Amino acid sequence: MTAVVGAAALLALAACSPDSGGGEEVDGLDQTAGSMASFAADEQFKATEPMSFSMLWTDWPELPVKDSWQLFDEIEERTNVSLELTNIPFSDAVEKRSLLLSAGDAPYIIPLVYTGEEKSFAASGAVLPLSDYEEYMPNFQKYVEEWDLRPMIDNLRQADGKYYMMPGLQEVSVPVFTLLVRKDVFDEVGAPLPETWDELRVGLEKIKAKYPDSYPLADGFEGASMLNYASHAFGTRAGWGFGDGTFFDEESGEFVYAGTSDGYRDMVEYFHGLVEDGLLDPESFTATNDGSGTVTEKFAAGNVFAASGSNGTVQEFSTALDETEGKGNHEVVQIAPPGGEAGQVVEPRNFWNGFMVNSEAKDDPHFIAMLQFLDWLYYSPDAREMLRWGVEGETYTKSDDGKFTLEPDYSLDGFNINPDAPTDIEKDLGFSSQVLAGSTESRALKESYNSPQFVEYIDSVLSTRTPRDPFPPAPLNEAELEQASLLTTTLTDTVNTNTLKFILGERDLSEWDAYVAELEGQNLQGYLDLVNGAHQRFAESNS
Amino acid sequence: MVTQNAMTVPAVSVGSGTSVGPRDTRGYRAFTAVNTVVLLLVCAVMLYPFVTVIAQSFSSPGAIKAGLVNVWPVGFNLDTYGAVAQNGTFWSAYGNTVLYTFLGTTIAMVLTTTFAYAISKPHLRGRGFLIGIAVFTMFFNGGIVPNYVLISALGMKNTMWAVILPGAISVFNLLVMKAFFESLPRELEEAAQIDGLGWFGIFCRIVLPLSKPVIATMVLFYSVAYWNDWFAAFLYLDKQELFPVTLFLRNLIAGASTTASEGAAAAGTTTAAISANIQAVTMILTIVPILCVYPFVQRYFVSGVMLGSVKG
Repeated sequence: MTAVVGAAALLALAACSPDSGGGEEVDGLDQTAGSMASFAADEQFKATEPMSFSMLWTDWPELPVKDSWQLFDEIEERTNVSLELTNIPFSDAVEKRSLLLSAGDAPYIIPLVYTGEEKSFAASGAVLPLSDYEEYMPNFQKYVEEWDLRPMIDNLRQADGKYYMMPGLQEVSVPVFTLLVRKDVFDEVGAPLPETWDELRVGLEKIKAKYPDSYPLADGFEGASMLNYASHAFGTRAGWGFGDGTFFDEESGEFVYAGTSDGYRDMVEYFHGLVEDGLLDPESFTATNDGSGTVTEKFAAGNVFAASGSNGTVQEFSTALDETEGKGNHEVVQIAPPGGEAGQVVEPRNFWNGFMVNSEAKDDPHFIAMLQFLDWLYYSPDAREMLRWGVEGETYTKSDDGKFTLEPDYSLDGFNINPDAPTDIEKDLGFSSQVLAGSTESRALKESYNSPQFVEYIDSVLSTRTPRDPFPPAPLNEAELEQASLLTTTLTDTVNTNTLKFILGERDLSEWDAYVAELEGQNLQGYLDLVNGAHQRFAESNS
Repeated sequence: MVTQNAMTVPAVSVGSGTSVGPRDTRGYRAFTAVNTVVLLLVCAVMLYPFVTVIAQSFSSPGAIKAGLVNVWPVGFNLDTYGAVAQNGTFWSAYGNTVLYTFLGTTIAMVLTTTFAYAISKPHLRGRGFLIGIAVFTMFFNGGIVPNYVLISALGMKNTMWAVILPGAISVFNLLVMKAFFESLPRELEEAAQIDGLGWFGIFCRIVLPLSKPVIATMVLFYSVAYWNDWFAAFLYLDKQELFPVTLFLRNLIAGASTTASEGAAAAGTTTAAISANIQAVTMILTIVPILCVYPFVQRYFVSGVMLGSVKG
């Protein structure tokens, strides 16, 4: 493990080498060989001559890529484009990607990029500012307008006003990680499924009364997951979502620090109360849920009845419970994140993974064709359906009301559809692949393959919760970024350490003011000035 | 290895227990007893994870998730072994590992023994310099990205040589061998010289046959290093058909515990879906062959490593 961490640190350094090419003219526009003269939204892209593009491909261990996948043939048949893959193992995909980009050896197309990951590559000039080429991507523009995503796209802009990745667009976005509860046990003790954190507490107390040896609530991600979805209800940010720690205060119109806000304090106090009363498992707030799956074990053993997890975790918990409680004697459900003093608020709408383009690509004669191809692949409804379901009439059929059905000969084991059919469209044909299929999705497409329980979860979040508004952009320039990263490292560290200390009772909450003073001693104000300055600068230059 | 070495200590004391001396005192017997108990405990601690993985490999995934498996399989089944055995990617990776290990060890042994022999001769001109450049690499290296650029510039990227050649001379092994060669009596070589052997004759017909312990030890060191190496392959290879089994295994296991961010965690949930028993079976199948090498080399092992240091 140390080798990887060391490597990651080295690569992060290497990726930051200053080399920002700052010409104002846009490169590569004359590289139009093979492109379509007029390419519009919802139109089938087809290159006018056969071509091939190199692409990074992450290999999940259980789904090794095969050259024979129909996916690649289908793409080639429809677009005249063949893909040359550079395989990287999922376990260390991020490190390998940094290495390839730093060494100037990366393929043209770099998929599976989550927002924020592009920053260091953008600063070093290793990837292209895709905002310069948006006009070649009509499908992208169409979805952005249709789903009202423009303000979020603006948030991707770096200090130079450009964005360097194109994200996967989601018509609806719901928190991936949320609370999973044993519904049968909540029913048993007569507690309703909690809509707020206070209701959850009441439920947990009832369970504790019935099972005094249990710690009914657990996290499994060192608290980072639970604090993340809880923080929105308390009007702050924490855990995985803490990010750079800033929080936009609508009233004053400027950024304040999340870690010192009243909401943060209330949240910490709430969780500390749970720990004091033995309702929250302190272990899962200090140890990671590594391969051995400690929270899963506790869930199975009946020591924990509510824990953080995603759609996939429901399955995991259920398999383990089948073993201890027996099939049919338990019910695990995924509920919308409970609300709190800030209302029934959940995380802001999100992008999903998208792509970056290696800056060497602009010198390729087929550059414009590549942009059109990527636009089709990532954002055209036809391509999205194909990437998920395969070929209409062959692997699936679509009814008039938009319901997708797999043909009886085909299965999609990953989502438990036709599990006994001989050919799996994911393992054997490459459709529904993690690399491409999840990226951009309409609500209908998302609901078409997910389990009814998950669709129910989506519905409950969308109908009963409000996503927090996105913050206005405040992109830092390169010098500021460096300064900010120095400051945030210590600040975030202090916040994280003390959050756990307060929650676990190692530090008394009466010392809250001392804790705030510590942060101020670490130049918190200087950091906020930096961010607010950038916010103003961006507002002025883009108004 | 550690436990096996350690276990020889009480055995020696028992064997020589008849001689008169401090070994017969009560204090010494108590010490031996305590020693045995402590070392057995250490041994148990070392073996426990191994036994657990073996037990998991025969258990059902649900039982492992629920934490029911300790040293004995729960929900016994052999299906997982069958499933892994039918995985073509696994076996092609396995074949690569065997090839890399065999070829790599051969090349490394040729290079290391000849280099070590040369620098073990005090009369070699430039000896200090040659030792110097080798030792220099123990303390300094170019870093990952420059190494990567170098390997690709040499045209070794996506070939097996990228995995084999960079590690072909381990300086530590080189120095151990050098010390061993220095400890060989000079008179033997002089005698051979008088009988008309040249340097290569001496090396091949006198020195190598006398160096079996150190050679066996080095073969063990190199083959284990090549067998276990995943990092070089991870850096320099990006064609799946070239991956060694360690990369396959790492992808299978390490992927499950990436939870630094929500995106990673979300992606990781699909990996977590790989049942723990498949991970266990793959681990067992991967370590068994290299484990089998140990008993054969064991008898050379201790003397091989010690020789250079004791006689020097």
